[in-house]
Amino acid sequence: MALDSLSMTFQALADPTRRAILARLALGETSVSELAEPFEMSLPAVSKHLKVLEGAGLITRSRDAQWRPCKLEPTALKTVDDWLERYRRFWEERFDRLEDYLREIQAKDKADKPKKPSDKKRPRKK
Amino acid sequence: MSAAAAKTQTTASPDFVISRVFDAPRELVWKAMTEPERMKEWWGPKGFTVLAAKMDLRPGGSYHYGMAGPDGVQMWGKMAYREVEAPSRLVFINSFSDEAGGVTRHPMAPTWPLEMLSILTFEELPGGKTKFTVRWSPHNPTAEEQQTFDAGHASMTQGWGGTLDKLAAYLAPTKA
Repeated sequence: MALDSLSMTFQALADPTRRAILARLALGETSVSELAEPFEMSLPAVSKHLKVLEGAGLITRSRDAQWRPCKLEPTALKTVDDWLERYRRFWEERFDRLEDYLREIQAKDKADKPKKPSDKKRPRKK
Repeated sequence: MSAAAAKTQTTASPDFVISRVFDAPRELVWKAMTEPERMKEWWGPKGFTVLAAKMDLRPGGSYHYGMAGPDGVQMWGKMAYREVEAPSRLVFINSFSDEAGGVTRHPMAPTWPLEMLSILTFEELPGGKTKFTVRWSPHNPTAEEQQTFDAGHASMTQGWGGTLDKLAAYLAPTKA
């Protein structure tokens, strides 16, 4: 089954080393050997991670320069960010509707209930 | 930011936490979340019609619901209750579902945790108000699911905001 691009991005992001590579690339274009240094990894191992990131559209690699620098592509991450924002909105939306519901039900209860004698004594507020 | 976002608090922690203060007594907020006839009135996106809302409120019981959007697309979900402590605490595992009540994957992201542990707390505040807090974390996740959740966590709580230095901080490993 072919994975949609969002799933590929998620899979790419699910690995801590790949997230660290992206964090490094957020600071600027970098060669593969420079990327490999802090991770104490072999070049082929780093290249494998880069391939996954490239496949997910998270980075691009220049064909021009001989050292083929890696560059971050923020658009793919923005898509993930937007998608996750939906989860926050999931609760925001429900809270909004709950707020409306609670307001309506309380207004209705107030209108339905006959006034209690104690209500008269209470000083009016709000 | 919208007015709704300003009213709602989210905090950075290992779990996703979101809360809002409602101008209603705790008893009523609890009922709104635990009585199926009331849940039908507000749970779900606006404009959706309720197809089913079956509730068995007790640890081990569940709430199984279905909704249909204006375009006819159906959405099914399930809450499997673990703790029911009226009127202050409700704990359930929530998941996507189908008409038969099974547990299903997120339709758009296969590595998203299959089941999410939701801890809902209701706190009484002065003036007849109630603070409703939701705490979300993956339930028995696979390593891949946990990582997907972690990768998204910072984004869910604060948003990445589109700037590269923020992105670097967000992606940076937390280990020393």
